[in-house]
Amino acid sequence: MNRRNFFAGAATAVAATSVSRVAMAALPEPVSQGSTATAAPLVPPNGRPYNPVVTLNGWTLPWRMNAGVKEFHLVAEPVVREMAPGFKVNMWGYNGQSPGPTIEVVEGDRLRIFVTNRLPEHTTVHWHGQRLPNGMDGVGGITQPHIPPGKTFVYEFTARRPGTFMYHPHADEMVQMAMGMMGFWVTHPKESHPLIDPVQRDFCFLLGSFDVEPGSATPKVNTMTDFNIWSFNSRVFPAIDTLNVRKGDRVRIRVGNLTMTNHPIHIHGHEFEVTGTDGGPVPRTARWPEVSVDVAVGQMRQMEFIADEEGDWSLHCHKAHHTMGPMGHDVPTMIGVDHKGVAEKIRKLVPDYMVMGDKGMADMGEMEMPIPDNTVPMMTGTGPFGSAEMGGMFTLLKVRRDQKPGDYRDPGWFKHPPGTVAREVPNANMPPATRKETPAPSMKNSSPDATVRKPSGSGAHNH
Amino acid sequence: MNPIVRRQLAGPLCYRRSSTPLKRAAAFASVLILAGCASLSPDGGSADVQALVNGNPLMAGTTAQRAPDEASQKSVDALLAKPLDVEAAVRIALINGPRVQDAFATLQLSDADRVQAASLPNPVLSFSRLAQGSEREFERMLSFNVVGLVTLPWQARWAGQRHEAAKLQAAQSVLMLAADTRRAWVRAVAAQQSVVYLRDAKEAAEAGAELAHRMAQVGNWSALQRTREQLLLADASAQLARAEQAAVASREQLTRLMGLSGARASYTLPDRLPPLPQAAPELGDVQALALRDRLDVRSAQAQNTAVAGSLGLTRATSVINAMELGVVRNTTFDNDADRTKKTKRGFELDLPIPIFDWGQARNGRAEAQYLQSAARVRDVGVLAASEAREAWQGWNTAYAIARRYRDEVLPLRKKVNEEMVLRYNGMLASVWELLGETRASMLAVNAGIEAQRDFWLADTDLQLVLTGSSPGGMTAAQTASASDAPATGGH
Ligand SMILES: [Cu+2]
Repeated sequence: MNRRNFFAGAATAVAATSVSRVAMAALPEPVSQGSTATAAPLVPPNGRPYNPVVTLNGWTLPWRMNAGVKEFHLVAEPVVREMAPGFKVNMWGYNGQSPGPTIEVVEGDRLRIFVTNRLPEHTTVHWHGQRLPNGMDGVGGITQPHIPPGKTFVYEFTARRPGTFMYHPHADEMVQMAMGMMGFWVTHPKESHPLIDPVQRDFCFLLGSFDVEPGSATPKVNTMTDFNIWSFNSRVFPAIDTLNVRKGDRVRIRVGNLTMTNHPIHIHGHEFEVTGTDGGPVPRTARWPEVSVDVAVGQMRQMEFIADEEGDWSLHCHKAHHTMGPMGHDVPTMIGVDHKGVAEKIRKLVPDYMVMGDKGMADMGEMEMPIPDNTVPMMTGTGPFGSAEMGGMFTLLKVRRDQKPGDYRDPGWFKHPPGTVAREVPNANMPPATRKETPAPSMKNSSPDATVRKPSGSGAHNH
Repeated sequence: MNPIVRRQLAGPLCYRRSSTPLKRAAAFASVLILAGCASLSPDGGSADVQALVNGNPLMAGTTAQRAPDEASQKSVDALLAKPLDVEAAVRIALINGPRVQDAFATLQLSDADRVQAASLPNPVLSFSRLAQGSEREFERMLSFNVVGLVTLPWQARWAGQRHEAAKLQAAQSVLMLAADTRRAWVRAVAAQQSVVYLRDAKEAAEAGAELAHRMAQVGNWSALQRTREQLLLADASAQLARAEQAAVASREQLTRLMGLSGARASYTLPDRLPPLPQAAPELGDVQALALRDRLDVRSAQAQNTAVAGSLGLTRATSVINAMELGVVRNTTFDNDADRTKKTKRGFELDLPIPIFDWGQARNGRAEAQYLQSAARVRDVGVLAASEAREAWQGWNTAYAIARRYRDEVLPLRKKVNEEMVLRYNGMLASVWELLGETRASMLAVNAGIEAQRDFWLADTDLQLVLTGSSPGGMTAAQTASASDAPATGGH
């Protein structure tokens, strides 16, 4: 991971804007990010000190101090987000990426956030969960005029309470969020807080879902439920960075949900407590141990635990379809279907045809067959023991005793102590189940089961 | 008449028939000679027909056979030994086809008519023996139909012209046969090719139905889903059966045109139609071409000339249409008394007296016939020009459609198939969608074959229209769209 200097004019940042310098004189130089790598935490160069967060496959927006006011510049614009190597999606985002940069401030900070709209249509920004003047709430038409294309608006308010927040448009919301407009916001406590413990590692990411037709590059904005790309910060496994921690670290993971469904986020090997929501820190008496927490639509959850078990622990949404890449939702179950004779026939017509799914879908994880351009396999990712058969909202929590404090680099695969890996029992071969020749229930015309279920008019209603 | 004399005189007189008044008398005097030169041509005029059709692109560089002989039958067998290309099919039809022999026989009939018309009417010898008591009377008369004699030059010229027209018609029949054979060959090969692809399409449906059956067997699919796949198979089977029947029918049509039967009818056709030509030919003014070269136009003109000739004849003979002139020699014997013998000589003239029939009807009829034939010339001219435009347009359209299939539809179809395989690989699409796409591809290939077939039919039409005759109704471009056939897996 590269430590980057994000200040205005830094060599690593790309200033990409067509706004005239003269007109911009009063604005902070907008900073753009070209990389999808997880940026190192941004240690505050000025203002009140705080312990910065790490945005998974993302970055924190730098600011400038102007007469005691923290000034940020967000640029809403079309971006191309690389959701996985070779899988690039046309999105709308902020400052070069989707999700946009994380905004980190400290409780009590006076803020001035410039928002330049470089989208083809108007937009606004809603500061989800903040206490602020009503006119700063960012609901287009209700609390403010929309920001027309090419214009810059400014939001001013004080970060009044510490916690986990997010920002997103409140104008043509369905489209703009389906296109990826969202960002994380963390307000750090200004001094030690009785309900907010200091942590050694503080990670944050947003849950995102997109419907990108395999072989295309732009999300379908009218999709309501049938999404096929499930992401942490607009990355899909195995392209999501791992959460690398030192054994014994107190770890905080902040998750926000801007998809259209809930996601039970599950962490292996540890119990955690939900220490905060977008409503603020959870009273200690209200916390209970969990290994999964459901993050409902529009919600944020912050989980904390001591990473005291070494290893590579899965961290994922527990909805099985959400740990998959794109798949045909109308593909019928092929399990148990004998292809003898038919496969040869099909291969005569379609030479590249291979039988898949007749034993389950694990084939898909193992076989490397060409799929449409600009898409990802349904399940992929390999570990030291083979195919992970996972995709989408999945990553790993890597706990290592020798991970240096403040070092976020991936330590590689865990080296299991001898005798601590599940292993084969010798000489206990049991053959797999063979296909039964008896017809399945649906085929038995005279099955009593079928007779009962048949709505027979007279019998069912005359009682 | 002495045959040697006839031969000596035949040359100049037969081919130069003067009609100037000065030479009328000479013409009349040479009637006997003239009549003598009309003789049956040894080949019934078929050589002239060959000359008319030689070099025509429809003829495949062959000559039509008036009567099949052993050598020609051997060449037919040699042609049948290999897969039959279109040139070979045309050759066989022109050597062996019953229609070409029919055409030549018709031409021979016309030749006979020509000779008949130009033959001098035989003189009539009448002899009568009358008895009265002891008297015996012998009357001998040699008479000629003088009008027949006078009108012989006209008759001969007219019959000659009619024979010329008949040659043009025979040439058209030959070209029609060549064109029909070409069309039949194109249809037969295309139909055979279609069967191959529809068989593949059916096989794809078969695989889908079989898998669907097994899906239902293990409980993965309902009767509804399974039945839908079976329905696709039933449709595909029906389509294939239709195509197979069409292949048989079109092949039989070709067989008939080539006049083949028995073991000879089991010839093989090539697997595919010839590829499309690189570019449209530069033809210039197709209408002018058709009006200049078409045999039916020339035939109508020749017929019109012949009718015009007959008009003069009718006018000349409208009043006096029969005149018999005879030399009479009458001998009387009296056996009883002094056995006197008296001989009377004289002549006899039969002449109808124009009281009732002044020939108006005959004149009217002849004039109507002339007007009719003139109208036909115009009609054929309009037809030829119009058909030339239509055929040329039809050629271009068929060429464009066939090229579109070759260069766009089929490559795009292939691309769709490849993409569907990729989607199948990614478990984004089911095997039924894959099979459905494959089926759609086969149907698109089939539509492409039909487009190619229509092009070659249009090509034959164009050749025929420009140089031969009316093809008797253009071959409509039969369009079939398979590009937009949705490839649903049926679930
Ligand atoms: Cu989920």
